[in-house]
Amino acid sequence: MLDIFIFFYQYMDAFALLTLSAVGLMIIFGMMGVINMAHGELMMIGAFGAARSFHAGLPLPLALVAGGIAATVVGLVLERLVIRHLYGRLLYSLVATWGLSLILSQGALIVLGTSTPGIPSDFGNFEVGGLTFSVYRILLFVITVCVIAGLWALFRFTGFGLKARATMSNPDMARALGIDTKRIYMLTFGLGSFLAGFAGALFSLTAPIQPSFGASYTPIAFIVVVVAGSRNIILGLTMAALMLALVKTTFTINVNILGGYVAMLAAALLVIRFTPNGITEWLRQAQVLLRRLIADR
Amino acid sequence: MMSLLNGQIEPGRSTLFWIGFALVVSVAAALPFFIGRYALLNMNSFLLMTFLAMGLALLWGFGGILSLGQSAFLGLGGYAYGVIAINLADVAGQTGLALAGAVATAVAFAMILSWIIFYGRLRGVYVSIIMLVVTLLFETFLNQTAGPQWKIGEASLGGNNGLGRFSGAIQELPSLHLGWGENALALAGPSRSFYYVTLVLIVIVYLALRLLVNSRFGVALAAVREDPDRAEMLGYDVRLLQSVAFCIGAALAALSGILYVSWGNFITPSVFGVTSNILPVIWVAVAGRRSLLAAILGAVALQWGSQALALQGEYALVVQGALLVVAVLILPEGLISLGQMASQWSSRLSRRLAGPVANPGAKNAS
Repeated sequence: MLDIFIFFYQYMDAFALLTLSAVGLMIIFGMMGVINMAHGELMMIGAFGAARSFHAGLPLPLALVAGGIAATVVGLVLERLVIRHLYGRLLYSLVATWGLSLILSQGALIVLGTSTPGIPSDFGNFEVGGLTFSVYRILLFVITVCVIAGLWALFRFTGFGLKARATMSNPDMARALGIDTKRIYMLTFGLGSFLAGFAGALFSLTAPIQPSFGASYTPIAFIVVVVAGSRNIILGLTMAALMLALVKTTFTINVNILGGYVAMLAAALLVIRFTPNGITEWLRQAQVLLRRLIADR
Repeated sequence: MMSLLNGQIEPGRSTLFWIGFALVVSVAAALPFFIGRYALLNMNSFLLMTFLAMGLALLWGFGGILSLGQSAFLGLGGYAYGVIAINLADVAGQTGLALAGAVATAVAFAMILSWIIFYGRLRGVYVSIIMLVVTLLFETFLNQTAGPQWKIGEASLGGNNGLGRFSGAIQELPSLHLGWGENALALAGPSRSFYYVTLVLIVIVYLALRLLVNSRFGVALAAVREDPDRAEMLGYDVRLLQSVAFCIGAALAALSGILYVSWGNFITPSVFGVTSNILPVIWVAVAGRRSLLAAILGAVALQWGSQALALQGEYALVVQGALLVVAVLILPEGLISLGQMASQWSSRLSRRLAGPVANPGAKNAS
């Protein structure tokens, strides 16, 4: 019984880690095909921003949002100066954002120093069967679910969401219908940056804040995005995170942490080897197959 | 043979170009007599990376495949060379076997990845970031191999202290040796023999790659770069072409890794890290990815420049990152496109100077 609880606790934790690490990257990739290589640095900026504003006296929830806003500002500047000029040229934007990430991480090292005082996590622990578990990890999972639900509502019910979905499925047609796609791209990039910074702020309670902060989350985010594909942002992200978290948890418990990461990469390679367009494409095919089976009845 | 050397794909076909090429090689050959031991040590470290750069240019500029994790093969080659050399140094007495084994290891790994990536029909940014994740996992894995259980024969993987001999206190990995027995020439970091062997290798690899990219294979690869679907429709096996190019790039990266170990007698997991992977991309992007020669010159010049900058402070990486961004925005084909523009202007100018007689139909055409 305790084993099952430990498994679910770790599964929830892994799911939150994967989803929050990847969500900002996923939004930008899904909307415009751009892999934002500076994603980890935006997370780092979010963590720094949250810690600085927390120590300046802001209450924790506001400090976390402030971290997200700091990343949004940086992200919008990068969009205006660099990324805007490279839309449609995906390898160029990949390389350019990688250069930006180098500038940001090294710049942070020079400007902000090697470490900054973190935010103390005083959410406490709870006990099950003689073992202690962190309340904050549970909270992270709840926040993750809220973020996904919020994004779904944003894309489903708002005017921005409608325009964004139109731009995503057919940018030329959307432009012909009078949607300012450049503005949609800019807003999406800002949203992705905010989510990256917010995630970094959330993780800053669990990890030391330093210029290489983002480096521990970017490989995970890349794996999730590769598995998710670019067909359906929210469903793809959720499915990929659910699947990869299962693999990670199983191998972390039975082998070790590194085993969990290697197994995740192996699973990702297997998935994309056989479904090159990501897990949502595979889902769509399964749906078509199911419909055909039902029709045959 | 000459027609292949001077084919369509690699820029630089005029007599002037070849005179310049011979001049640069002669200057490079004379260089060790004019610089000190420390400068030679540095120069050697710059030269050995040119193979990695040429491999990346072949993949990215000629094949349209951007791998952000080419250092995975550099590191794998270096580690494999070190492990084999440690275990066989006393038995065989020379390092040729370790060299061959290391290149074979890297190519075998590249074949496995090719099966997943190219035979899985992955393209574009997927290939790029998968390679990055692969190399970062190598780094993570090797960083935690500090314990005594992580050894292969005599070699201990050694965690972030780097590869070393398991038993002895001496951490040094053997250098490459040219020849046999007593007269074998050790290719150690600060030696002139290392410099000349590397220089000769660079010329050979450059000319061989020129032949390759101008051959039928190279033209087909360029077709794949321009439009994979059209190339497929025309009957080319896109998967095979991409895989072969990928394996050649891996072999070249491994050669750099082997020379790196021979040069410094050490290797640590940091060769798999982000910085080692972004630097070759910067050299090739800034100098011009569609030219093998630009890759060589870019690698040497930018490494030299960044080392000079590093003496001034911590800004070397910031400057290189900025160079990359600026190059992508302003000169997407790299500095080499400036040279091509200049040669176009000069030919247009000479045509204009020759007067309208040289091109009689041009004005009446409309």
